[in-house]
Amino acid sequence: MACSSSASRIVISSSSSSFVKQVHNSCPAQSSFMQFKLTYPRSLTHQSFNLHATTHCISSVPKRSFTCTSQSNNPIPSTNEPSKVQELYVYEINELDRGSPAYLRLSKKCFINSLGDLVPFSNKLYSGDLQKRVGITAGICILIQHKPMKGDRYEAVYSFYFGDYGHISVQGSYLTYKDTCLAVTGGSGIFEGVSGQVKLKQLVFPFKLFYTFYLKGIEDLPGELMGKPVRPSPFVHPSPMAKACKPGATVANFTD
Amino acid sequence: MACSSSASRIVISSSSSFVKQVDNSCPAQSSFMQFKLTYPRSLTHQSFNLHATTHCISSVPKRSFTCTSQSNNPIPSTNEPSKVQELYVYEINELDRGSPAYLRLSKKFFINSLGDLVPFSNKLYSGDLQKRVGITAGICILIQHKPMKGDRYEAVYSFYFGDYGHISVQGSYLTYKDTCLAVTGGSGIFEGVSGQVKLKQLVFPFKLFYTFYLKGIKDLPGELMGKPVRPSPFVHPSPMAKACKPGATVANFTD
Repeated sequence: MACSSSASRIVISSSSSSFVKQVHNSCPAQSSFMQFKLTYPRSLTHQSFNLHATTHCISSVPKRSFTCTSQSNNPIPSTNEPSKVQELYVYEINELDRGSPAYLRLSKKCFINSLGDLVPFSNKLYSGDLQKRVGITAGICILIQHKPMKGDRYEAVYSFYFGDYGHISVQGSYLTYKDTCLAVTGGSGIFEGVSGQVKLKQLVFPFKLFYTFYLKGIEDLPGELMGKPVRPSPFVHPSPMAKACKPGATVANFTD
Repeated sequence: MACSSSASRIVISSSSSFVKQVDNSCPAQSSFMQFKLTYPRSLTHQSFNLHATTHCISSVPKRSFTCTSQSNNPIPSTNEPSKVQELYVYEINELDRGSPAYLRLSKKFFINSLGDLVPFSNKLYSGDLQKRVGITAGICILIQHKPMKGDRYEAVYSFYFGDYGHISVQGSYLTYKDTCLAVTGGSGIFEGVSGQVKLKQLVFPFKLFYTFYLKGIKDLPGELMGKPVRPSPFVHPSPMAKACKPGATVANFTD
């Protein structure tokens, strides 16, 4: 789930005029790219989408180690029962062809993000090995707090859809300046009854994210979701077949 | 999670008697967000023309409360002997987070109705009110306005406990009655949690007391498990906790 600029995931920064930046060239240019206006702060008085691209250059992706608070990278199940934890890796990529995100500046504060802004979004979801298109993410980010010179805190409530396999719902914090852990609140299909948490790792803010799910309470996940994940970096991209949703490069009835 | 007036948690009542003064016992913050106390006709404005429906402390309903179909010590819903841990926290709106943001999207003036959304974020203290632990953050979705009674919201929000992690909840919030919400999940020490949480309003809409009944997690740390202050409208965090002094917060408390 990416919440930042340029018709993908847009966060409007209140910092100076330097926030009007060009969309990074490495992001796939789609013919159905949704138009948006790159304008100066005074245009934010308009009710339309006058969004300021705050896309960071790839080189500015923070490189810091990350652990879920109080958890190691391989979290021990939180009960004394030997519950099996399965790790599932997926990539969420905004290819700018779903009209996402929709930054709803409802807080009536112009030029600055504040409590009240809502950001519905939906991006594409690929398997961790980037060989298969599995589906989409869909949900909403609720802006909670804007920290000047730092970034924004959102409360995110959304789901990951895996075609015929079902879906996983999550809820938790999304910070534009730091990786976070979200709670796995439930699921359907093969994910029915699931519990656990998921680590969110931003690769290219706001277009690419890498997720590591730590899932409990479900049967063994199917092999096609469990391929060796591509090492997360800003330069990852789905295989051409997966991106084109060719047969064999998707899960059954992948969500679109 | 408090949904009512004055830039904290605002619920607009449709009656004309709803223009009331904010209770003096609520902490006055220098960063108190301005709001207009106006009459119903002002609700045609798109700006925040909110009517304070803060009840006086004496009007906090005093009624016994149990989660529907649950006793005060809910029995786990499975036959397995799952340990239930009780966790107490206070949520307090100190009017310095710009919360809540009442989004009157339903376009029905003078009356709350389905379509109104209320994002909010308040401060969270341990049950003994000695430590600042973090914040709540989420949204209330107005479902139904009952004239002369109050409002029903569907609330989806999280409780953040700094380095300990967070707990996500979902359920009903009624302005006129205490409720139970579902614990949908958590992270950190709350990873894999399930259960429910009782919401008790103390000072509508500024102070709430929660009792979590949590299953599926390890024993909670001692600093969250201090003896809770008996809930009343007059409770307040210790000065050290309120000032977030070292020793009066959890590690990296969420702010």
